[in-house]
Amino acid sequence: MRNFEDDPTLEDLLTSDQRQRLNQMLSALCRKPVSIGKDRSNGSVALEFNLETVGWLSGGSCEQERLAVADLVSFLMMFIAKYRLAANLHHDTTEASYAELQKQNAALKASEARYRALSDQLQEKVDEQVAVIKQAQMDLYESARLRSVGQLAAGVAHEINNPIGFMSSNLKVAGDYVNDLRERVPDSELNRDLLDDFADLIAESSDGARRIASIVSDLKTFSSIDQADHTLCDVNDLLSSAVHLLQTEYGHGVDILEKPGELPKISGHPSRLSQTFYNLLDNAVQALKCRQQGAGAEGWSGRILAKTSVDDGGIRVVIQDNGCGIAEDIREQVFDAFFTSRPVGSGTGLGLTVARDTARAHQGTIQIDSREDMGCRVTLFLPIR
Amino acid sequence: MADHSPEDNKLALKVVFYGPALSGKTTNLMQLHSLLNPQRKGELMVLETRDDRTLFFDMLPIGLKGESGLDLRLKLYTVPGQVQHDSTRKAVLSRADAVVFVADSQTGQQDNNATAFGNLEENLEKVGLDIDTLPMAVQFNKRDLPGVVGDTELQQRWADTPWAPLQMASALHGKGVLETFRVLLGRLYTEVDREFALATGHGIDRDTFIRQLSAASEENRA
Ligand SMILES: Nc1nc2c(ncn2[C@@H]2O[C@H](COP(=O)(O)OP(=O)(O)OP(=O)(O)O)[C@@H](O)[C@H]2O)c(=O)[nH]1
Ligand SMILES: [Mg+2]
Repeated sequence: MRNFEDDPTLEDLLTSDQRQRLNQMLSALCRKPVSIGKDRSNGSVALEFNLETVGWLSGGSCEQERLAVADLVSFLMMFIAKYRLAANLHHDTTEASYAELQKQNAALKASEARYRALSDQLQEKVDEQVAVIKQAQMDLYESARLRSVGQLAAGVAHEINNPIGFMSSNLKVAGDYVNDLRERVPDSELNRDLLDDFADLIAESSDGARRIASIVSDLKTFSSIDQADHTLCDVNDLLSSAVHLLQTEYGHGVDILEKPGELPKISGHPSRLSQTFYNLLDNAVQALKCRQQGAGAEGWSGRILAKTSVDDGGIRVVIQDNGCGIAEDIREQVFDAFFTSRPVGSGTGLGLTVARDTARAHQGTIQIDSREDMGCRVTLFLPIR
Repeated sequence: MADHSPEDNKLALKVVFYGPALSGKTTNLMQLHSLLNPQRKGELMVLETRDDRTLFFDMLPIGLKGESGLDLRLKLYTVPGQVQHDSTRKAVLSRADAVVFVADSQTGQQDNNATAFGNLEENLEKVGLDIDTLPMAVQFNKRDLPGVVGDTELQQRWADTPWAPLQMASALHGKGVLETFRVLLGRLYTEVDREFALATGHGIDRDTFIRQLSAASEENRA
């Protein structure tokens, strides 16, 4: 590439057309025609520019005439060259500036991309950390809750077990005594009625004691203080304990239909599964209540179905209700920890999150199908491993 | 970047007058044009100016012939000093063989001197030259004006640089211009002789080089 400052050649300074015209004009001034050429010839005079010989002038009537013309041509070339130099320099600098600009632009783009990637990464990292913190918070909360519920349940179970044991056996003995009494007291209508009533009271009390014993047993199952380790679980047992516990809590007015299928035992986390079943059932009861209080509840009766079955290499637990369902606009959020659609104070908002985390902990899935004001079906799938 | 073409036995060197705006670069070159009488001297080309300020550059070619027939050319350029003409400055500076830095002695111009010097350093690097090895002379011009920074103070400030001692000039009055040029020629000779064996190969020794290229014309010789 030529530099702007390279010494110009005759062609750089004058096109052949221009040279032709210049020859004519100069010849008109001279006594004999003159001509500018690139090559030296006999008697020709050098045309100098910047100490450089750029061409030769020949013709003319004498040396003196040639020298005069050569001077004039050099003078002219000076101005042509000035323009050329300026134009070339301008061209060079413009190109250099443009190249520089493009380089800067490219660098800018690269750094912009780098910063964008960095900021994306940052957002990702923040999100990740937030998720970790949320999870830890929830685990903490949940484990504390499980532990306290477990401890309470175990304590209550322990405390109740003994008295209920001797009450049951005492009541049984008391029943025998009533029969003994029949032989000893004089047989009169009044005495007979009295003893029949007495026997009924003791039988009812016995029944009550048995029910208490069964609740205690459910509580023990529910709170099975196994914490971390997986053990073999009977899902039907766990589900039914949860159902019983729920019925105890809400009174027997809740209509829960249990349809246990034939299930193998699976390795799992009994207290988390129990908690999950309980939460799902509790949600269902709330949904029923919500629909009950709403408009158009005449002729409707709330039902909950708790069904288990085996398919696709796993256990399917379905808990279905015909309650108020989940509104479309909040369905996305139902798994968010602390999200609750219920009035403040009536729920922790952890129910479905615990259910989802339990499903995940068992490599399973949870699915919610719901239509507002029609009901809700939660399907928990736990693979058999 | 000396331009040597062995086939024509020609060596072209480039000297660039650099410095802040209005420091007197063009004045230096105009003075050289009238003061110098080297073996060969071309026309002074003053390219585009506006209000006396250089827009592109000025150029003066001078030359001498060595005993070997070496055709030695020196092209003296000035750059535009105004800040906004940086890309032109860079283009003119590229392939320079030596630099004369013309500083303005006035007290109020010291910041501009420093900026221009930094800009020279930067641009040299951009065009692939190194300020530490490039032959250079530093001139403080306009000594005739009142309120200039003192001679001793300036010399002291520059004492530890490769460019000491500084050249003091009043270019407008033709003072110190030739002296600055001669200091530069001396430093340039060292480099060029190293590369092209001026003394042994072409019979041009340091004294000839400096004397021939900076010969003063008759009317100024007094
Ligand atoms: N008093 C005084 N004025 C000077 C001297 N040298 C130059 N000047 C004046 O300073 C002004 C600028 O001088 P120039 O030679 O055009 O400066 P420059 O460095 O070429 O300026 P740019 O082309 O804009 O970079 C002119 O008015 C000169 O007459 C000097 O030694 N003394
Ligand atoms: Mg100038």
